[in-house]
Order: sequence, then C-alpha cells, then structure tokens
Amino acid sequence: MKNRNASGAVRTSFFKRAGTRSVIASLLCILGGLLVGFIVLAALAAFAEDIPFSDAITGILTVLEGPFSGGSGNILFQLGNMLFSSTPLILTGLSVALAFKTGLFNIGAPGQYLMGAMGALLISLSIPTTSVPAWLVWTLAFLGGTALGVLWGAIPGFFKARFNVNEVIVCIMTNWIAANVVSWVFKATDKLFINYAETKMNFIRKTATNGVSTWTLGLDKLFGGSYMDVSIFIAIIIAIVLYIVLNKTTFGYELKACGFNRSASKYAGMNEKRNIILSMAIAGGLAAAGAALWCLNGAQDFKWDTYLSLPADGFNGIPAALLASNNPLGVIFSAIFLKYIGVGGSNLAAQTSFNEYVSPLIVAVIIYFAGFSKLIKELLGRRKREKNIDVRFAPAHDPEQVRRETAEDRPDGENAPGAPPEPDETPTDTDEAPPEPDDRQSGQDETQTESRSAKGGENA
Amino acid sequence: MENPNPYIIEMRGITKEFPGIIANDNVTLRLKKGEIHALLGENGAGKSTLMSVLFGLYQPEKGEIYKNGKKVTINSPNDANALGIGMVHQHFKLVEVFSVLDNIILGVEPTAAGFLKKKAARARILELSAKYGLNVDPDALVEDITVGMQQRTEILKMLYRENEVLIFDEPTAVLTPQEIEELMQIMKGLAKEGKSILFISHKLSEIMEVADRCTVLRKGKYVGTVNICDTTKEELSAMMIGRDVKFTVDKDPAEPKEEVLRVEHLSVRSKLHKKNAVNDVSLSVRAGEIVCVAGIDGNGQSEFIAALTGLEKPLPGARILLCGEDVVKKSVRYKNTHGVSHIPEDRHKHGLILDYTLEENLVLQRYFEKDFQKHGFIRFDEVRAYAEDLIGKYDVRSGQGPVTVARSMSGGNQQKAILAREIERKHKLLIAVQPTRGLDVGAIEFIHEQIVRTRDEGAGVLLVSLELDEVMNLSDRILVMYEGEIVGEFDPKTVSVQELGLYMAGAKRQNAKGGEAHEE
Repeated sequence: MKNRNASGAVRTSFFKRAGTRSVIASLLCILGGLLVGFIVLAALAAFAEDIPFSDAITGILTVLEGPFSGGSGNILFQLGNMLFSSTPLILTGLSVALAFKTGLFNIGAPGQYLMGAMGALLISLSIPTTSVPAWLVWTLAFLGGTALGVLWGAIPGFFKARFNVNEVIVCIMTNWIAANVVSWVFKATDKLFINYAETKMNFIRKTATNGVSTWTLGLDKLFGGSYMDVSIFIAIIIAIVLYIVLNKTTFGYELKACGFNRSASKYAGMNEKRNIILSMAIAGGLAAAGAALWCLNGAQDFKWDTYLSLPADGFNGIPAALLASNNPLGVIFSAIFLKYIGVGGSNLAAQTSFNEYVSPLIVAVIIYFAGFSKLIKELLGRRKREKNIDVRFAPAHDPEQVRRETAEDRPDGENAPGAPPEPDETPTDTDEAPPEPDDRQSGQDETQTESRSAKGGENA
Repeated sequence: MENPNPYIIEMRGITKEFPGIIANDNVTLRLKKGEIHALLGENGAGKSTLMSVLFGLYQPEKGEIYKNGKKVTINSPNDANALGIGMVHQHFKLVEVFSVLDNIILGVEPTAAGFLKKKAARARILELSAKYGLNVDPDALVEDITVGMQQRTEILKMLYRENEVLIFDEPTAVLTPQEIEELMQIMKGLAKEGKSILFISHKLSEIMEVADRCTVLRKGKYVGTVNICDTTKEELSAMMIGRDVKFTVDKDPAEPKEEVLRVEHLSVRSKLHKKNAVNDVSLSVRAGEIVCVAGIDGNGQSEFIAALTGLEKPLPGARILLCGEDVVKKSVRYKNTHGVSHIPEDRHKHGLILDYTLEENLVLQRYFEKDFQKHGFIRFDEVRAYAEDLIGKYDVRSGQGPVTVARSMSGGNQQKAILAREIERKHKLLIAVQPTRGLDVGAIEFIHEQIVRTRDEGAGVLLVSLELDEVMNLSDRILVMYEGEIVGEFDPKTVSVQELGLYMAGAKRQNAKGGEAHEE
C-alpha cells in the first residue's frame, strides 16, 4: 500500500494534464488551419493576376486579427457584435457537447434552434407590453422558446431510447420538419408577425417593436453601438452550471456513464433510456435558449422562410463542441474563437483583393482543422505518457487486451481496444462532421447575420 | 558463437520498453529444434511482449535475435514469416465467412494469370491435415466450425506457409477439456516432425503435460529455464510468482441455510437461432453454499445470467425468487439494492466504465446512496474515503490510486476492483461469472478466497465458470448446462472431471427428474 500512497501523491505537472493537452491540441489545430489557409490564399494569389502576393499575407493576418482588423474605429463595434453573436453559438456548442458526453450526436441543434426562435418570437411579439411588464414577457419568451427546444430535442432522444433509431437520422428529419413548421406558422399567421413596415417581407418584426429586448446595461454603447447585451453572460452562466452538473452531480455522473459505456450503465442499474431522452431534451433546450437569446436582443431580423436553409449556428455547435473537446467551459472560448475568425473572414474580403467567396473558404479551412484536435491530443498523450506511466501498468497485463492486441494495435493501455463499444468512437466519427463550415457561411448570411453583415458593410 | 548450435531461435538480452515500463528486461530465450518450449509467467510478466518481438510486432530496444546461429532482424510479421516463424494468436485471425481453404491461402494465394488456383492448395492442405492429424474440412465455412477446428485451421495456416517455429499464444484458453487433450496430441506430433514450438501459458498442468522445457518470466525479467522432467508444478509456480501458491481452495464444508435464490422455468429467446438460448431452467441457491453452473462457453450461461440480473428479459412464465420475493419484473437497480451482487462476465463491457476513475467505478451502484450524495451532488470526499478503504482491503493496485483511470489498470486489478465493489455491497446473493478469467494464479487464489469468505459470511454464491479446475475446487454443488438446459447436478467430491466433461459436451444427461435437474 506504500506504493499506492506514494504514487497517489504524485501530482501530474501542468504540461502532463489531460486538460492542458486538450488546450495545446486545439491551439495546434488552429495553427495548422491558419497555415493551410495561408497556403490557399497564396495559391489563389499566385494564380489570379489581379491579386498581389502580399495580399495573401495581409489576408491571413486579417483573419487572425479578427475584429481587430476592422480599422481602429471599428474595433469596439466589431468586438461587441462578435461577443453578441457568440451567444447562440456557445449554447448550441453546449448542446452538442452535452449530447456527446452522453454518447449521442446531436446534429439536431439547427432544428431545436429554430423551434426556440419561433417560440421566443411568438411569445415576445404577441403579449403586448402595454399590459404585461416587458421583463416578464422577455422571461416568458425565453422560457417558452427553451421549452419548445426541450420538446424538439426529446423527440430523437425518445426514438433512440425506445426503438433504438439512430439519433442522427431523427435529428436530421426534425431539423427539416422544424424548418418547415416555422415557415408555415409564420406564413399562416402572416401580418401578426411578419414585418411589412420596412418592405422587408422575409423578416419577422423585431421584438423591440413590442418593447421587448435584452438588458444591455450600457454594453451596447460601450461597444461602439453594437448589438452587445447581457445575453453572453447568461450563456456563460449556463455553461458553468452545465459544467457543475456534469462533473459534480449524480445526474452528470449518470449521463457521462451512459455516454462512456451504455452496457455498464445498464448493469449498474441506471435507467439509460431515461438518460438518453433527458440528455437530448436538455441539449434541445440549450440550442433553443441560444436562439431565444439571439431573437430577444430586440434588434435582430429573423428570416421566417426557414424552409430554405437551416441556421448555421446550429451546425456550428458541432465544431464549437469538438474544438472544446466537449468541455462546457471550453465551449465558451471555442464559440468566441469561431466568431472571432468569422469577423476576420468578413474583413478579409473588405480589405484585400480577395473576393467575398474566399473568406468563408479560409474560415472553413480553419474550422475544419478543429476536427483534428482529438487526433492531436491523442498523439500528444502518447508522447506524454511515455514519461508518465507507472511501472505497474504493464501495457499488456490483461490477456484479454493482449488477445485483441496485434499488429495494428499499440501497446499503451488507452489504445488497447479493451472497451467494446468504444465511446471514444462517437466523437472520432464525427470528426468528419465539420464540412458544415460551408453551410455556416451560406446559412449565416441567409438567416441571422443579415443584420450584422448589413451593418458591418456600412462600417467597413 | 563458436560452434553450430542446437538452437533454432535464440533471443539474447531482449529489452523492450513501453512508456514508463520495461516489459522485457534483458530476457534470454533459447528454443531448441524440435522441442516444445513453454513460456510461463503471470499476467503482465512480458510473455506476450517477448513473443510479439519475435513475431516482429514490436522492435526491442536492446538485444539480438538469432536464427540457426545467424543474427536476424525482424521488423514485421512478414519478416517473421519469411524466417519460418508463425503464430497462433489467442483470438484467431480468420475471416468468418470464408472457407477454411480460403483462410489458409489468404495472403499467399496461388494464382495463374490473375485467377486463383485452389486445386493444388487444396491437395496440399488435405495432405498436411492428414499428416498431422488435424482433421479439418477445407470447404467448411469458418463461422460454422468449432473453436477447436478454427484453431487447427490456424495451425494449418502456419504449416502451409512452411513455418518451422510455431508460437502458440495461450492456445487452451478457449478450448474444452477434450479439445485441449487433442491439441496436446497435435503439438506433440508437430514436435516429432521437427517443428519447434513456443507455447505461452500460465496453466501449469498443461505445461507439465506437453512441454520439454520451460522458461519463466516474472515482471519482465528472466527467472530461469528448466527441464520439465526435472521440475514440479510447485517449483514452477514458485518461480513464476516468487512465492508458494496454493492450488486448492481451503474451505470448510458448506452449511447451506435458507434459500436466497429460486429460479423457476426460466427461458430466454436466442438472438442467434430459433431455439431458446436458455430453456426452462430451474435452480436454487441457498445461503452459505457455492453453486456452480459449469458448461462449455456458449451454452446459454451468459443469457441465463443476463435474464437473472435483469439485463435481458426472460420469456414469460419465469419466476425469479429472491429471498421469496418474485423479482422477475423488477429493475436492475431494485435487484442491486435488494441483495444481488454481480461480478459480470465481461469486465470491460459491463463491469467497469473504463474512462471513469477507479473511485468512480467503485461506487457504480452506490453513487446515489445517502453516504455518497447530498442534494444530488456527489460527495467526492466520501467517495474517496470509501475507495481508499476498498483499495487497501482488496489490494487493488494502480498507478494513481483512486484517481487512476480504470482503462489503464491491469486486468487482474480491474477484476479485483469489481470484486471489491460487489463483495463490499450488502448482498445475499453473489453472482460471479467467470470471476478469474484471464487472471494468473496469484490473483485467482485471492479471488477464490474472497468468494469463499462471502459464502462463509452467509451469502449464497452462484458461480458460472468454464474452468473445470475452478468448478471442482470452489463449488459445493455443480450444475452442468448444455444447450441452454441443466443436464445434470453433481457433488464435486464424488464426480470426476471426465464425467463432467461428458455432460458438458452433451454426451450424457440426467433425465430421471422429469427433465429438470432440480435440487433434492
């Protein structure tokens, strides 16, 4: 027992911790993305006669500088809008991350997001603030939108738990059902919600027209008249709560157990079916809350003909979650980072000879590289472990591991394919997911950032 | 090397390090031509690593390999094959939907103008099969043949490639007693024909029976090489463990008391075929006795236990009485909290959440109890204290104590952790399914002691085991399961292993009691 105490007391140094490895891996991925992005820009500059090579360097620096590249007068404004637009992304990122922790792939965040937006808009625009206090309408709208997302997320969860239907299939279907339901609802109610006043027929009235908007506490003015409000703090609080729930409570213990090993959870007497439904329901609520916060800002135009495309922030929750290795606190940073690069991308087109189609491409490349973070983390881990493993962990102690361990397998315990349904596999599979970045840009322009890009255009 | 030597393979001073651990530390192994050379050691002693080095799967940091006195480097299994070294892995490398013939020629297919020429290959396989008494049908699909025959297919694969050095990695782990006997004969036959065999095992009785010499490894170090004819089982085990080990379990005669478990007419539908995987099984377990369900793997034991513990649903009509209460419709959690402890068959699939830490795993069924939870928040300090207590009591060894990730622990310690968790929970019935699978004698001894202790403290134990030694040693009553039915009930003191083997293979059954082997 002496050994146990001796080694139990060993504190792994900063650089050997798994958390540190995650951060280093993510940073390396971003670096790799920037590098490849630069190569793309350089190649484009080399082939296009009207683009000087120096623009490739300026370009990649512009992307890297994000909101700081928008000209000195614009920095605060762009920062404010970046932080505001990060809010829904943090929440969809949390949505995807939570589902991943439970071993589920929530690709239904766009649908949940739309339902949340619809719920929030319907409530916030139909209760007159002349008779009900605006803060109450705001709260009802936020909770109502979130509740709708909870229901929407529970659907794939239910099918998964009850009939073992792959949640990805149901999620994709519910996405498009949501897209059409939302369009239909607004079309059917027509003048009740659609904005005819400003000849912007494709948009729902801003909630501010009913006096409902999120508290700004002067932040909008502080950030150069941007959309900034307190919603990002709400998102951060939600992320912290989620972190605590996942890591400190019995509920989180169960959810993660189900994610890591469903069979063992069942063996331990956990109700894994209930946990699947709950996890998806909460994930749905998170995505919807993001949409509600975005809509309730008050100054945002929601494009109601959503059947045409799904909201980009829904899909971008996936790279946000992956970049953060599904850590709720990490999602805060990864979401802000994605938006940061996004702002840089917009500035790229404005400030160099590259056209506006190049910027999403570069942004996509960088986000795409986020998908490699797990791989890099594993590689780092393998190197680190060489110095870090206790002598008593003979790599192939267990003949069952030995049995499975042959030419293709490595000797370290973590890679011994011991666990039957490798829970690791889920995220690994979804490393392929980030082709969405493309959707992101196209979708983004269509749905929510309409206002921002319009406004950004003026300022650029 | 001064003289031409009698050794076909020499591994000299092999050192192989893995991250943080020296798996082989200056190990020397000399294989004579035509001998059966056993490689003995506990789990994690470095046997498999050494063989993987020889087979080209790992490259050693230090040391040299000589074949027939000539230094060779083996960088991949292909190099090994070219040198005539073949290996039968513990889990066979066969394509299930291919025929035996296709599997054997896979990778060395004889072709003419791009078309397979199977005829010559077939003839050669039949010839080899006859020569070594392998008795394999080249046209059978691998998925249709028995495990023993699959193993013989692997042996044929090596012979077809004209390998002279044959490595067997724990070849008997998956076989029935009869099949083991056949394999021993085959190995002796191969040696007689001039093949040299390296045989990895931690089963002493097999080594005593078949091997000529034996090299013992302990914790990665070379302990010694002995001639089997000059040694004893006890001496070998002392070399392997570094201390004396008991082979029999010391226990007092059972004093069965009240019935803790009664199963009536339990049937489970099979997922593989139309017949029931478990068919109308009835049995009972009383407090203070160890009842063992013996049988060859795949005869319904796993399904039976799954239905019993609530992981699968039994067919309607079954009754499972836990201390008189029918729990057939109750949840797993209900059973867990009402006196059932369960050491599952597959410790990775069911027993542990490998990505959780040891302490998290030790409260897997208790995290929600008052002791470990307050207002929904886990009391991690209590969990830690509990885990440290169990780790101490059961000597669960791991790198970082309670916070070690379960995945990084050795199999034996993982199993000890599960055992600790299940025995420490309040229980009236302990269901232990192959509790010592894949463990070495030291760990087996410990686990057997603990199971006997819980029996003596008044729990009923239902043991499922494939190991006849374990069945004979540990149980107070033996039930044999064959094709989902209980075909016989025995007293371990009066029945012979051979007799049990016949029942396990389905050659005999006790039918006198109306098809049910019920207790008296």
